[in-house]
Amino acid sequence: MIQTNKLTKVFRTDEVETTALNEVSFGVDEGEFVAVMGPSGCGKSTLLNLLGLLDNPTTGEYYFMEEKVSNLREKQRAKKRKSNIGFVFQNFNLIDELTVFENVELPLIYLGIKGSERKKRVDDVLEQMGMLHRRKHYPLQLSGGQQQRTAVARAIVARPKLILADEPTGNLDSAHGEEVMNLLDQLNQNGTTIVMVTHSPSDAEYARRTINLFDGQIVTENIKQAL
Amino acid sequence: MIISYLKTALRGLTKNKFYSFLNIIGLTVGLAAFILILIYVRTEASYDQYHEKHDRIHRLESNFTISGKNDQFGIVPIPMAPTLKTEFPEIESFVRFSDAGNQLLRYENKESYEKDFFFADSTIFAVFSHPMILGNPKTALVEPNTVVLTESKAKKYFEDENPLGKILLDAENNQFKVTGVIEDLPANSHLKFDGLFSATTLAARMGEERFNTTEPVSFWNIGVYAYVLLKENTSIDAIHNKFPSFYDKYMKSIGDQINSSFTLMSTPLADTHFEGNYSADEPKGNKMYLYIFSAVGLFILIIAAINYMNMATARSVKRAKEVGIRKVAGAHRKQLINQFLSESVILTAVGLVIAFLVVYLLFPSFQTLIGKELEYSALFNIGLWLEVIGTALIIGLMAGSYPAFYLSSFNPSKVLKGTMSGKAGGSGRLRKLLVVIQFWIAIMMIIGTLVISNQLSFLRNKDLGFQKENMIVMELQDSTFRSRGETFKKELLSHPNIVNATTATGVPGQTGWIQVVRMEKETEMIDDAMIICIPDYDYLETYDIDVVKGRFFRKDMGTDATEAVVVNETTVKQYGWEEPIGKKIHWGFNPQGEGGRVLKVIGVIEDYHYNSLHNKVQPLMMFIHDDISKGLITVKTNGRNNASTLSFIEEKWHEMGAKRPFEYQFLDQSLDEMYETEQKTGVIFHIATVITVLIALIGLLGLSSFIAEQKTKEIGIRKVVGASVPNILVLLYKEFAMLILIGFALAAPLTWWGLDNWLQNNFVYAIDISWPAFAIAGIASVVIGLLSISYHTVRAANGNMVDAVKWE
Ligand SMILES: Nc1ncnc2c1ncn2[C@@H]1O[C@H](COP(=O)(O)OP(=O)(O)OP(=O)(O)O)[C@@H](O)[C@H]1O
Ligand SMILES: [Mg+2]
Repeated sequence: MIQTNKLTKVFRTDEVETTALNEVSFGVDEGEFVAVMGPSGCGKSTLLNLLGLLDNPTTGEYYFMEEKVSNLREKQRAKKRKSNIGFVFQNFNLIDELTVFENVELPLIYLGIKGSERKKRVDDVLEQMGMLHRRKHYPLQLSGGQQQRTAVARAIVARPKLILADEPTGNLDSAHGEEVMNLLDQLNQNGTTIVMVTHSPSDAEYARRTINLFDGQIVTENIKQAL
Repeated sequence: MIISYLKTALRGLTKNKFYSFLNIIGLTVGLAAFILILIYVRTEASYDQYHEKHDRIHRLESNFTISGKNDQFGIVPIPMAPTLKTEFPEIESFVRFSDAGNQLLRYENKESYEKDFFFADSTIFAVFSHPMILGNPKTALVEPNTVVLTESKAKKYFEDENPLGKILLDAENNQFKVTGVIEDLPANSHLKFDGLFSATTLAARMGEERFNTTEPVSFWNIGVYAYVLLKENTSIDAIHNKFPSFYDKYMKSIGDQINSSFTLMSTPLADTHFEGNYSADEPKGNKMYLYIFSAVGLFILIIAAINYMNMATARSVKRAKEVGIRKVAGAHRKQLINQFLSESVILTAVGLVIAFLVVYLLFPSFQTLIGKELEYSALFNIGLWLEVIGTALIIGLMAGSYPAFYLSSFNPSKVLKGTMSGKAGGSGRLRKLLVVIQFWIAIMMIIGTLVISNQLSFLRNKDLGFQKENMIVMELQDSTFRSRGETFKKELLSHPNIVNATTATGVPGQTGWIQVVRMEKETEMIDDAMIICIPDYDYLETYDIDVVKGRFFRKDMGTDATEAVVVNETTVKQYGWEEPIGKKIHWGFNPQGEGGRVLKVIGVIEDYHYNSLHNKVQPLMMFIHDDISKGLITVKTNGRNNASTLSFIEEKWHEMGAKRPFEYQFLDQSLDEMYETEQKTGVIFHIATVITVLIALIGLLGLSSFIAEQKTKEIGIRKVVGASVPNILVLLYKEFAMLILIGFALAAPLTWWGLDNWLQNNFVYAIDISWPAFAIAGIASVVIGLLSISYHTVRAANGNMVDAVKWE
């Protein structure tokens, strides 16, 4: 599903040059659950941005679903992104002015799906996330866990093949965090590929494989033994 | 404390240069426009109030009903004021003004026409307040053949010489001794003059006896502006109440004889500029324009204030953190409110100072614009500045109050935790409301401007029923010249560029002779007023007026010179003449109803507009009368080489022995001048609209930059979940477009109603308000509005979503 070859990202600000990712090569198969770990500033988020087609690498190649996407223009990336990738953020990134329902509905609107169909699908995922009774609430009226469940609902409503999660439990207490991890696990069981950045070893436990980044490079890869 | 507020405020303003700049521009333009409009409104509203005794001075007016026809005049019979004074002890003094017409005055080799000179009673300086620079106000106008000049006229004739005792000559070589110099009249004087001859001059010319007669018949000729000064604690009502017995004593005998009556009317001096619509009166102010411009001034100011509120509240989100920190540091809510209020007051003050400079620089062009000569002292009027500073303060406080109270109420713990972030839902709604109000106002003004200019071009281009291009009109002023009118005409016709020429008592725009005649109606003859023009045989051909029925006068029809009359279509309609030809009109009869001419209608001409389009076409008649001297000559040229044609005419003018310098007018120009008020209003409205729209756009520009900034995160999120750049643009534009359209929906009906009223009340001939003006205004405001937000919007839509949606 994902294959990178010497993926490199360099940020230039004024005179400082930061190599956030340095020749990273790795792959993710369909249906995998991969955790990315490493100290702060080692390039985890940068990697997710590239995998999520939010940004282009400075050099290196990126194959997404057997197709080379490392040099696509934003318009084409947007097209691939909206039908194939869902995002979950540490700070939820919900739109405060929209209700839970409207937030979750957004990806479907941009996919051009009809209103009646949208309603059904949004209600379905909200039910799945246990958020249906909160559909008319605004994000600020919800607890952190509820916000993150809304964000997960939004990430999966378009039925993406890949979900990218950046510290999805970082802003949650352990109970809520576990709730969200169970949801992700569930999705993975149902066949969705997941790449998740985390600082929490217990979250990483959910993954089958963990990639450790240090200073923009992969240092180790642990594969959890199938029980 | 205050110093610390000021310091922080200044720091805040210099830190956000772009916003401070937009705010100050908006406020400056808004305040400058407001100050200028205020000066105009104050001038209009303060007419004649500079006279110390103005609340005791009343102008007299006449209300004549002659043979059932009522006419009201701004002038009264010559003996009215003095006779009233002898009869009624309430009157302390009076003064009369008699228009001296167009006077050619000369001192040594300096000569020029003076249009604004009057004969006035010597009491003028006791009644009115005209500060005298030279001479004695008590004696200045007592002697016959004396004249008092305004300062600028004295300068014009005598330059640095002492004018007192000098002699001015008129065209007939009458001598006038200068006995006084007064200050120029302020712009807010309803009766403007540049100089005064003594009324005793008239008395001397007419004979003392005749001038001062109180014979009944002398009360039935109107002639002079008259003002009475009442004694303290008396009321003008007393005079009106007692007037019937005065009428019986002085006027009734003649009134009964000619089947007529008279009542005296009066207007307090300060109201004379606006009140009443009388014949033979000075030009009046229009209260409607006063209201319109006051509203416009206020609108501009409101829009500028809204800009400030909008930008300040938008910025509030960014400042939330500052507030939180200040609160944690122990600041009280009150201190924070003061902080924000002082910021906006400072900004307004800076705007005010720049606005004053702008006003100062624009003052000369402003005077040209409103067509009034104001003095710079009008700028430094304390009253004006109290009003301006007061308003600016209110604006500053009002504009600052929302952000002040809103921001200071932030809960520090929330703010600092960041949960306040971009929410600010309440302020978002208020901001939208404010933008709607701005566009409501701006669109009203855009529509107004369009409709006004449509009406003006309608007036300019309406087919008036006669040719107005290439027509030169000249006045044959003195009687000798007038008697040579026919010869003059023949001479002129010899020039190849002159197509036609005709003499008459009236030309379009100057057909003011009204007289009571007897008209045939069904089986009887009834008395009615008619507009009369005595033309020449070639009047119709020269002016290209169409004959609807019958024919115009012909030299070869002998009876045309004495028995024929031509009327316009309105006459035919008004008297219900099925067959107009042959109908009788009796003109020129004496009080006993005898004499004059009984004329028969030989033709009907179309309703050409012999007067401005402010007035409906009334019944008009024309007949040939060789003994009535025709003071106007119209020359029709082929339009080629006007300069040489004019110099030819001038040459002939002098050959004919005209005593006065050559003067002429192009008919189309003098007709245009009749709409000068509307024209000026149009221009002022136009400028005001541009300013309003400009300020509103500045506001939108600033606002869009805030909104783009505030929405960075939302835009980023939307793009992450699949929105394309066009999706985002539509989203952002739609929001503004909605606001503008709501503004339009509010503006349209109100403007329709207002403009319809204006057209109905001010014009007899008006355009129908049509939807294109509305469509243009709506579309234009949406387009310009969206353009003004484009820069920030497009930038925001194309922004980097990775920065917008920080992962952590
Ligand atoms: N837009 C940017 N401009 C400049 N430098 C950047 C930018 N984004 C990231 N960096 C730099 O790249 C490096 C990697 O950043 P990244 O956000 O990927 O780290 P991270 O592993 O996600 O850290 P954390 O665990 O704190 O989230 C850092 O040194 C960061 O400063
Ligand atoms: Mg990160």
